Amino acid sequence: MIGCGWPVKYFKVSRDNRDCKDNRVRSFLLLVFLLSAGVVAPVHFNYASAAPDQSSSPIPLQKIIDGTAPGEEAVLPEGVYEGPVVIKKKLKLRGEGEVTLVNRIPSPAVQIQAEGVEVYGIRIDQLEAGESAAVKVVGDDVRLERLTINTRGYGIMLRDSDNGIIRQNEITWKGNVDTPSDNKGNGIDLYNSHRNRIEENQVTRVRDGIYIENSKMTQITGNVVSQSRYGIHCMYADGALIRGNQGEYNYTGAMIMGVNDSRVIGNTFRLQSSNVNAQGILLYDVHRSVVTGNQAEGNRVGIYVDLSTDNQIDRNYLQRNFLGLQLNKSKNNRFQGNSFIANVLDAVASGSENNRMNGNYWDSFKGLDPDKDGTSDVPYAINPFYQQLIESNSAYQLFFQSPGMIFLSDLHMSDTQSWLTDQGPGMKPNSGSVREGAMNYQGAVLAAGIVMMLGAIYIIRLGVKRHE
Amino acid sequence: MNDTLQVALREIKSGFRNPWAYSFLLLFTIFSISLLMIHSQSFMEGYTGATGSMLNLILYLLPLMTLFLGSFSLTSEKEDGNWQLLSTYPLSTLSFITGKYIGLAAMLLAIVCFGYGIMGVVGVITGHPFGLLTYYLFVVFSIGLVLLFLAVAMVVGSCCSNRWQALTVSVSLWFFAVIGWNSLLIGFLGWLPYVWIKPVLVALTILNPAELVRLFVIIKLGGGSVLGPSYYRWVDWIEQPGGSYIFAGVCLVWIIASIGLVYWIWERGRTRG
Repeated sequence: MIGCGWPVKYFKVSRDNRDCKDNRVRSFLLLVFLLSAGVVAPVHFNYASAAPDQSSSPIPLQKIIDGTAPGEEAVLPEGVYEGPVVIKKKLKLRGEGEVTLVNRIPSPAVQIQAEGVEVYGIRIDQLEAGESAAVKVVGDDVRLERLTINTRGYGIMLRDSDNGIIRQNEITWKGNVDTPSDNKGNGIDLYNSHRNRIEENQVTRVRDGIYIENSKMTQITGNVVSQSRYGIHCMYADGALIRGNQGEYNYTGAMIMGVNDSRVIGNTFRLQSSNVNAQGILLYDVHRSVVTGNQAEGNRVGIYVDLSTDNQIDRNYLQRNFLGLQLNKSKNNRFQGNSFIANVLDAVASGSENNRMNGNYWDSFKGLDPDKDGTSDVPYAINPFYQQLIESNSAYQLFFQSPGMIFLSDLHMSDTQSWLTDQGPGMKPNSGSVREGAMNYQGAVLAAGIVMMLGAIYIIRLGVKRHE
Repeated sequence: MNDTLQVALREIKSGFRNPWAYSFLLLFTIFSISLLMIHSQSFMEGYTGATGSMLNLILYLLPLMTLFLGSFSLTSEKEDGNWQLLSTYPLSTLSFITGKYIGLAAMLLAIVCFGYGIMGVVGVITGHPFGLLTYYLFVVFSIGLVLLFLAVAMVVGSCCSNRWQALTVSVSLWFFAVIGWNSLLIGFLGWLPYVWIKPVLVALTILNPAELVRLFVIIKLGGGSVLGPSYYRWVDWIEQPGGSYIFAGVCLVWIIASIGLVYWIWERGRTRG
């Protein structure tokens, strides 16, 4: 169906109300014209012939939007469009092919001020640096999907906007590579916006990948954030669900602050140790929340719990971090079934009481389980000697797990009551972390074993052989 | 060159007629099987707490074994009068020393390879195999330890006049390099200005074969991050393929320097009678 309003050459509009007679007449006349001119045109619009020349000057998108009736869908054919635009009515904007919207002035490329607006499949270049966002939303029930945003300011910004969906967008900061994180904008930034869903977005090189402030019941699932300051940053975001996200090369994977009743489930935060304060997951002033099934690998601190109470932190997988778990002034939290593998320091705590810790797997501890219930009958009290030593000078980290260090630590057995203790450590890491790779190359190991044995036997025979 | 090979072959022959060699062969084989049992309880490849414990166990046994066999072999040459006899032959001291080193290395590596060979085969048969990289790095770790500590053992054997002396010095060196290293260094470095600690520690680490090989293997097993930001550059160097050549180069310098020292000691003894 061909729409009314703006010249048909540039776009196609579908509408819901069926009594637009003018529109039908125009469509019919146009069809007759095209056929009579010998052009093979389908009933649907021929985008190829309608696509504007890339070299021509950008098309002003605002006019197209103004020409679209409320509730209609404007489909943009390939081409370069000029921003900024303000959308003040409910409509759908859909890019077909490579649709690029360029904005050169310091205001949002797309500003949505109406409810129920949907934007799909457009690339947005926000060229001006500063505090402005590529897309700014001040309206409820908005849907932004498959947008590719290159920005020198913010990516997507929601203000007082509820019930929105932000899905499968790619947001990249495109300014000077040397710009410090603090001078960049956030990828997706929510303020006072509730019950939004942020799903499967990819955010790269921004300040905070996903920043949520004063926004309740936000669902953040399946996003990937890399090379940014914080992957996910929640402030006063009660009831947030953070599930299945991934972070790499950020300073901190998820920073959760001032939050109650949230859930952090099945996220992966890796390789964030480049900054001295880097953490996989930081919980600050967090209460009654669940942190479960997350993986933190290669961070400076796997999980840092500060001023937080009554949280359930279980079945997380903390591997090759400098420090697996750090507790500061946190009480009544439960740590159960976590796996601590190849961390330099398993866990440290200060000013933290009444935390229940049991059934965690510590690979630096060998337990005894005579009753075969899966937990050790010998508790694991974490010796803080090595921690104190490397705090005095980090050069001593070279002594990590050296035989003499273990010997020295064992001599240091005073004040064991104050040590962080797992009352019944697990004998196996939690599922999903079973030994990988060992079953590969079995043939090679067997062959190497046989060759070495034969070589050894040859040399031994050489030795015991009588003189010829 | 031919002389060197003759000495090496003679060393292998006398080595495997020595009951010590067989007791160590048995010990190391049982030890390898124990490592396999520890490994079968670990849940991850690469560097883990269990791998660290196994490396430490190897670190306890292999240097001591090498120091004993190596130093005893040299002192016995003096005690039994063989060297006095050989000195009258047209055999250069360097050929003798390198021949001894090669022969002893072959003997010790045969012991190590036999143990690891059994470990690899039994691991695959029982369904608890080592990962190829871990297995390979354990072998490299042990070979590195043997070659470097053998160089130390040669120096010990050259300086001591009999087996008892060699035994005492070997145990002291082993204790210093493996067990007491950290305590002594922490005590000693505490006297130095803060900024000197790291460079001095690194220099001393290169001088201790046990630490040198241990750190190389930890980094190659992917555990470099445990050393922390102070050593990022080092870890980066060693992690890349060229890092292995650098390590091999350092080991070679170590061995050549030790053999040079041993040569000097023996040559001095030969010329002065």
